[in-house]
Amino acid sequence: MSLQDLVKAKTVLLDGAMGTALMKRGLPPGMPGERWNLENPEAVRDVHAAYIGAGSDVVQTNTFGGTTLRLASHGLENRFEEINREAVRVAREAAGDDHIVAGNLGPSGLFMPPVGEADPGALEEAFTAQAEVLARAGAEAIFIETMLDLEEALLALRGAKKGAPGLAVSVCMIFEKKKKGFFSPMGNRPADSAKRLADEGADLVGANCSMGSVEMLEMASDMISAVEIPVVMKPNAGLPETKGTEVVYRQEPDDFAKDLLAMVKMGARAVGGCCGTDERFIGALRTGLDAL
Amino acid sequence: MTPEELFESQKKAVLNGDKEAARETARQALEMKVDLLKSIENGFGAGIREVGDLWEQGEYFLPELVQGADAMKAAMEVIQPELKARQQSRKVEGVVVIGTVEGDIHDIGKTLVATFLEANGFKVFDLGKDVPLTQFVDTAENEGASIICLSSLLTTTMTGHGRVVEMLKEKRLYGKVSVLVGGAPVTPEFAKEIGAHGYGANAVEALNQAVKIMEAV
Repeated sequence: MSLQDLVKAKTVLLDGAMGTALMKRGLPPGMPGERWNLENPEAVRDVHAAYIGAGSDVVQTNTFGGTTLRLASHGLENRFEEINREAVRVAREAAGDDHIVAGNLGPSGLFMPPVGEADPGALEEAFTAQAEVLARAGAEAIFIETMLDLEEALLALRGAKKGAPGLAVSVCMIFEKKKKGFFSPMGNRPADSAKRLADEGADLVGANCSMGSVEMLEMASDMISAVEIPVVMKPNAGLPETKGTEVVYRQEPDDFAKDLLAMVKMGARAVGGCCGTDERFIGALRTGLDAL
Repeated sequence: MTPEELFESQKKAVLNGDKEAARETARQALEMKVDLLKSIENGFGAGIREVGDLWEQGEYFLPELVQGADAMKAAMEVIQPELKARQQSRKVEGVVVIGTVEGDIHDIGKTLVATFLEANGFKVFDLGKDVPLTQFVDTAENEGASIICLSSLLTTTMTGHGRVVEMLKEKRLYGKVSVLVGGAPVTPEFAKEIGAHGYGANAVEALNQAVKIMEAV
């Protein structure tokens, strides 16, 4: 079943964090997670399998930093196709044929004027290229995430539609709570952003990362009431704290799930977890969703 | 035009992030032979301070912050050579060493803090990104810095912040050099836990913390 059909039929359960999950499995500090698609694919598959086992309907590929632009900052741009292709392969191995594999697209890491000097055309090309490889390798949807800038999100959306025609595209942005409300780092508001993205053809829109479920609950209704298309909510497991050399997230899965179920009651149609979440969080969400 | 009117137009240039206007009004200051330090303080400086206030109020965001800082920089590029020729210098608020810690390549926030501190009168040594931890301490020692600013976006590189504090203690520099930490995963609790002297969630807070530290010196 396609993502479009699935989200019409039920509230879709996405997956949890990949980056922090890989770190728990020994990803060295500073190493980009995408390297493990080549050097330790079993660990990546393991993460996907854990989420499938906990009840996820969709797993997202380990390709968050997978554009040539982002890979270049680690000297990996010449392995761009392989990295993205292998990511889909291991995700498919874990997902089988009855779960959805979504290709994950994260920010390019570059900024357009006035903040930086990136060329919009180059960004769009990079997103198109990544979407193309992911689609060819068998991804059934494209999930654009953690976008700080509505303008870059729109470029990624266009690139995804161009590179992966026919696949559903979801676009999630980062928002932060400020004195006057919620804003992306570039000053975009959630409702306005959702509308713009929907108008430009996004199949799903939402928010991920940067805040915990408590804060995301506060901004959910604005976004949900702004558009007709399904809205995605994917918060972090609270804020990270370090204990010596370890990184811990304090929030409990049940509290997390409670907030997300509240968002579902408000009308959110796809939920999942970002940084710090693991299969316990997905399990708690699965239990909660099944009970609704 | 009176000097006050000139200062007002300089302030506006920075507030509006207008590099051209900043350069032009800086040139006018030279032509009119106004007190250049007053120009920096009451003109451009007043503009950058208001940019910070508007950020805190949630009116200005990243783009406006960057544009304001760039306009300030453009003005200083015109004024600095003249200051040097007149053997005047802007009062140095403090010397700062800043960088993104070893293993981390995210630097947009860090660069913004550096630019903002500079715009507000600090002498800044920006070591860039993926900076070996010892380099922070060595540079601070060599340049007589009062503050080291550490930035991380990856939670895994946050542990470097604690090591820098330890290194300062080992070299008996801990009281003399203060440490400010920042970056998306960094929290005030974390800062306190590792013995940092302050935490800033953004460039404006970093400036406030830096000023506070220098006042106590």
